[in-house]
Amino acid sequence: MKKTSRREFIAAGTGAIAMSALILKSAQGLLGKGAQYFGRDLQRPLDGPLTPSAATDIDSVAHALNRFTFGPGPGDYARVSAMGIEAFLEEQLAPEKIEDGACERAVSRFGECWWEPVGEAYDEDDEALSPLLRRVALLRAIYSKRQLFEVMCEFWSDHLNIDPGKGDCRYVKISDDQKVIRENALGNFGAMIRASAKSPAMLWYLDGRANTKSTPGEKPNENYARELMELHTLGVHGGYTQQDVMEVARCLTGWTILAKKDDGFSGKLLKPMKDRAKVVFRKEAHDDGAKSVLGQEIPGGLGEGDLDRVVDIVTTHPGTAQYIASKLCVRFISDEPRPSAVDAVARSFTESKGDIKTVLRALFATPEFHASAGAKFKRPFHFIVSALRATNAETDADRGVEKYLERMGQVPFRYPTPDGYPARASHWLATLPWRWKFALALSNNRIEGTRIDRKTLEQKLGGNAALIASLLNRQPIADESDAFQKSGDGLALMLASPAFQRA
Amino acid sequence: MTAKANISTTRDDGRTLVVVFLRGAADGLTLVAPIADDNYHKFRPRLAVKAKDAVRLDDTFGFHPNLRALEPAWKDGDLAIIHGAGGESDSRSHFEAQDMMEHGGLAAGGWLARFLRARGPSQSPLSAVALSATLPESLSGAPSAAALQSLEEFAISKNGEGNSEAFTRELRRLYELENGPVKSAAAATFEALHRIESIDAKAKPANGADYDEKDYFAQGLRQVAQLVRAEVGLDAASVDLHGWDTHFTQQSGIEPLMLRLANGLAAFRKDLGERMATTTVVVMTEFGRRVAENASFGTDHGRGGVSFVMGGGVKGGRVLGGWTGLKPEILDGPGDLPVTNNYRNILAPVLTRHGADTAGLANIFPDFALKPLGLYA
Repeated sequence: MKKTSRREFIAAGTGAIAMSALILKSAQGLLGKGAQYFGRDLQRPLDGPLTPSAATDIDSVAHALNRFTFGPGPGDYARVSAMGIEAFLEEQLAPEKIEDGACERAVSRFGECWWEPVGEAYDEDDEALSPLLRRVALLRAIYSKRQLFEVMCEFWSDHLNIDPGKGDCRYVKISDDQKVIRENALGNFGAMIRASAKSPAMLWYLDGRANTKSTPGEKPNENYARELMELHTLGVHGGYTQQDVMEVARCLTGWTILAKKDDGFSGKLLKPMKDRAKVVFRKEAHDDGAKSVLGQEIPGGLGEGDLDRVVDIVTTHPGTAQYIASKLCVRFISDEPRPSAVDAVARSFTESKGDIKTVLRALFATPEFHASAGAKFKRPFHFIVSALRATNAETDADRGVEKYLERMGQVPFRYPTPDGYPARASHWLATLPWRWKFALALSNNRIEGTRIDRKTLEQKLGGNAALIASLLNRQPIADESDAFQKSGDGLALMLASPAFQRA
Repeated sequence: MTAKANISTTRDDGRTLVVVFLRGAADGLTLVAPIADDNYHKFRPRLAVKAKDAVRLDDTFGFHPNLRALEPAWKDGDLAIIHGAGGESDSRSHFEAQDMMEHGGLAAGGWLARFLRARGPSQSPLSAVALSATLPESLSGAPSAAALQSLEEFAISKNGEGNSEAFTRELRRLYELENGPVKSAAAATFEALHRIESIDAKAKPANGADYDEKDYFAQGLRQVAQLVRAEVGLDAASVDLHGWDTHFTQQSGIEPLMLRLANGLAAFRKDLGERMATTTVVVMTEFGRRVAENASFGTDHGRGGVSFVMGGGVKGGRVLGGWTGLKPEILDGPGDLPVTNNYRNILAPVLTRHGADTAGLANIFPDFALKPLGLYA
């Protein structure tokens, strides 16, 4: 994790940046105006064993690849076959030990994305921040070798959804992505919820910043308190009451952010400006009386300690274990997972006190997981990333690709309501034509900023039969081989085919 | 017309909502002029629509003559007019006011997107379209919303590479091997593609409707009508008409725009004929303009504007939502018609008709106590 502020980094590295800008410029000059500069180094070298699956069904290796990653690229099947699924899972559960140079190069080439402290983001052009965040999310999903980590980042980004389109979220969602989602994606659930409760973006998005103690003219703002229980922890039927919502709201009164203008809610920011959006606890706005949340008493006078108590109570509630287990099973097993699987995962959640790695190990060990090969319909983001990975594409992850995500309704960080993009297939079935069009456009290098080298891919894999098996993650059925030949564009056909829509 | 099932079996009624946004802040006092109000003529000595030129609507108002094409809709009771329409943003900034209005307040995503999400999944691959280069903010976060400049962009066989017929054939073959929802979604998609590809772009619109060939606004409406007619499951469409920011020599700017607006809407209504019973067109703008004209024959940014609702079930032929008049003491800030009808109260009854329930409305327009206008009563 980089701790230097972006501004300091740029100041220190001006020379190097000027140099690389110069190189980029000259490369563009050579290619002529409007031409794209494509380095080769983002793509896989395709120098290891590339043998695809010989099985006629999605076997256990292919299944693991489908679920632990955003889709396999050429060579992944051979590598995971050789190392074994257990070792692959353990590798993926320790992302900090995975060398990830290609991804880092992709991100540094096309968009740096961190501000420390968060107030520095206010110096940036607000129109540029959200596109940057989206682009970096796409680049990481495509190029990172820490695939399960990125898959979990996507999962938690939906779970704790924030659309930067609301108020100052456009400036502070970036820090939420770093401090809440990425720092905790494979960590502890309670720690993630605690970080989220104190995240400037969440304080903005769900109006926590405006939650102050009851006065004759004002009532506490319940928005965050409700979503904390309904969406982030217990689930709507998790066993909380309206009274609990009101009590949680009381506990969280006084937490707000420093703002330039005092709009009556925020703490007043004098200076320095970089402290803007810093989270503060306003004692005078906190309701310090005794409260009762989900049957547990919280004595008066705890002040800012109320937040920790609330987070503990809601994240360790049995309803939360059940709800999070159920969401994880829908993501990783099937749209309607069996209760036996959910119960096993919930048990592991409770026993491990919300340790996400332990919970994932338990999930991937269930018989229901093993029996679920191909049961998930990829969401649009997953589809697009998996197609780019399967074809070893080079992409700038900019508007050319984003346009397709827009048409399919799944641009990263653009889901308007706090419940996050839906997980089940029924919401996404209508996106088929845009998937087909994307497949055709990708296959024919008609996506701006994205290019595949079909010939090399085919040659390195050793011909069409291996190409089909590499794309499908299994041997084709007779109809697929025949359709590949007759379609006029076999690569696009495989990407557009029903098999490629599933994971 | 052959009877065809709607592509989206989750929608029982095939209703389509068309949002026309007049970008730049249209001058409501020229479009629907309070011709009987003396103050109007005092504030607008050079720009007021003269009573003798206006298309009389009621005892107070008349259309600018360039909106005459909308007179039949008004007389048939299909068109309602709302004056003093607008939002809460008093910045008088185009950007901020459009942004707030399209988001539905200080909320993430667009109101139209939240409406579509509230309706639940659609089987149609074209449940929402914007006939524009980019998606408007109102559709930000929508499920499967496509910004198209022409329907041909949607087709596979018209812009694919190589032998696209063979590609579609082989694709269909693979999806026919499927079972369950993927198979039926693919079948719905092939049917939608087929219907769209069968649209003869050159064919004459129905009922003698006449869309201006060179006008992007009219052509946008024409393509929306083609989609409605093709029954591809279109829930919502967005069409913009730009250029209403008439600070300087207003007449030269606004007069041709009004002709395009009225002719486009009239052609759309005529073209759709009986299908207007399940179609609603809402015309909105970010704010109205200063009541008093300025020294350069124009008008500056104001507050209350005008909004139209045309379509099935509307009890039109009325100016709804009251009228404050233009007495100087009731004017807002620097002399603007006050906003007496929040845009949400205009949209809420329309969205109810198009399938939103009370809980849905509360999500679509959060933090706002709705007082829906009686458009249908």
